[in-house]
Amino acid sequence: MVSESETRAARRRKLLLSALLVLALAATLPLRRKLAAESAVSAATPDLLYVTSGQTLRRLCLGYNGLLADLYWTRAVQYFGRQKLRRATEFNALGPLLTVATRLDPQLLIAYRFGAVFLAEKPPAGAGRPQEALALLRRGVVANPDYWRLWQDLGFIEYWDLHDYPAAARAFEIGSERPGAELWMKTLAATVAAKGGRWATSQALWSEIYRQAQNDSIRASAREHLEALRAQEEINHLDILLAEYRKSQGRAAVSLTDLVRAGMLPAVPIDPSGVPYVVGKDGRAAVSPQSRVNLALAQ
Amino acid sequence: MSHRVATIALHTFKECVRERVLYTLVVFALLLIGAAILIGSVSIGIDKVLLVNLGLSAISVFGLLIAIFIGISLVSKEIERRTIYNLLSKPVARYEFILGKYLGLLLTLVVNTGVMTAGFYLTLFYQQRGLGSDDLAPLLSVYLIGLELALVVGVALLFSTLSSPVLSAMFTFCVFIVGNFLDDIQDFGRQVHDRVVGQLANLLYYLLPNFSTFNQITAASHGQRVPAYLVTSSSLYALLYVTILVGAAILIFEEREFR
Repeated sequence: MVSESETRAARRRKLLLSALLVLALAATLPLRRKLAAESAVSAATPDLLYVTSGQTLRRLCLGYNGLLADLYWTRAVQYFGRQKLRRATEFNALGPLLTVATRLDPQLLIAYRFGAVFLAEKPPAGAGRPQEALALLRRGVVANPDYWRLWQDLGFIEYWDLHDYPAAARAFEIGSERPGAELWMKTLAATVAAKGGRWATSQALWSEIYRQAQNDSIRASAREHLEALRAQEEINHLDILLAEYRKSQGRAAVSLTDLVRAGMLPAVPIDPSGVPYVVGKDGRAAVSPQSRVNLALAQ
Repeated sequence: MSHRVATIALHTFKECVRERVLYTLVVFALLLIGAAILIGSVSIGIDKVLLVNLGLSAISVFGLLIAIFIGISLVSKEIERRTIYNLLSKPVARYEFILGKYLGLLLTLVVNTGVMTAGFYLTLFYQQRGLGSDDLAPLLSVYLIGLELALVVGVALLFSTLSSPVLSAMFTFCVFIVGNFLDDIQDFGRQVHDRVVGQLANLLYYLLPNFSTFNQITAASHGQRVPAYLVTSSSLYALLYVTILVGAAILIFEEREFR
């Protein structure tokens, strides 16, 4: 039989143990905060790739190279997103991550296509490394010679980022000869060769990117570029009107309302983000500081 | 003969099915396959590719773990428990015992691989809201994984007749690793200046089974079907090696004395 004193002692032990558990749990809270702060510090250190050779990793992964390539591609996406969130201008690990992913699985088309966009875009939208993007795509066309879209991407980077119009036209031409290539690739090759650098050609290219984008971020980027192109075109037109106003009135317009009053415009025009254009201190048309349009994208 | 082999195989299967570790591994594999949907959502454009890669890799890795950890104890457990005396006193030939054990574990692996494959296809169905003819590509890859596992069971069984379970597991794992590097070993043999080392590398290349032959997971993830010639030659290759491994296990077991 268990005596009453023993029962009381057991109850006391249980109570003590419960109190100890609660105390221990409470003690973990400051510790957890400290650990979180420390991990934030370590997360701020530069990204490191311990194995940078895709060939070595391919040998070491016992045939599971496809899975490892997917993980490296996911790492590249996460790294790119994180750097963008931090508004970082350095994307040093992006190129090596994409190289490893595509060496592990040379058929991972998405890594060439989106990876090239991430690499080529000007900062802060991307890494601003068009030559690395070209190298990635060139490896892609060697590994996937029949996939015409890689030639389209190659031509696009030559056109948009490097302004090498003959090279862009060549890439579009080669791509148009690949199986399954759409007819507009041939037209694009001819247009770029004849009218490289013109607004309409750039607009046609970005419209195509927007039309075929399978991902929200690429679609958003294409839309921003299209808006910037449209705004730049409208600003060029407004600059002509401002020059005409200066000539006819003998003084520079202070705002676009002056042009409206002079009957040169029906109303103050608004940019693609819905904000009215303004006249800058230099007397030329510009987007308002409140505007979402990033004119740098149209350069 | 076939009846006795079938009885031993069935008993081995029942014995394997009682192992709790088996269920843990299968459940873990199924969870991993399901997790592919979550992992795919933090990436771009590889939802299906990742599911196929992760699903087939899970089937392969967990099948491998089951093959090794159950295969190594197939014979040694009978010796340890001394049930081997009871068995061999009955009208059962030693080769029937080994053959039955091998087929029993193979049956276990076929059932497990079937369950994991069903889990994989259910996840694929959920992800794509349906299945198309392209989705048959991973099935051939699963077949090749099955051939690979049949070979690993053969290796585990061979070492199980020779050594303790721990050593058998180590040896089997080493053979699997080396069997994945055979092409590199052959290259090394060609490049090395030492003739003896070169010949040793060549010997390893021809002696050990080449496991990398059976890995078509990445191709399947891109919807590429395994060519028919590869399926036929791989099946024949596996059959020959399994015959060699089980034959060697029978020879060793025939010579073994139990006191």
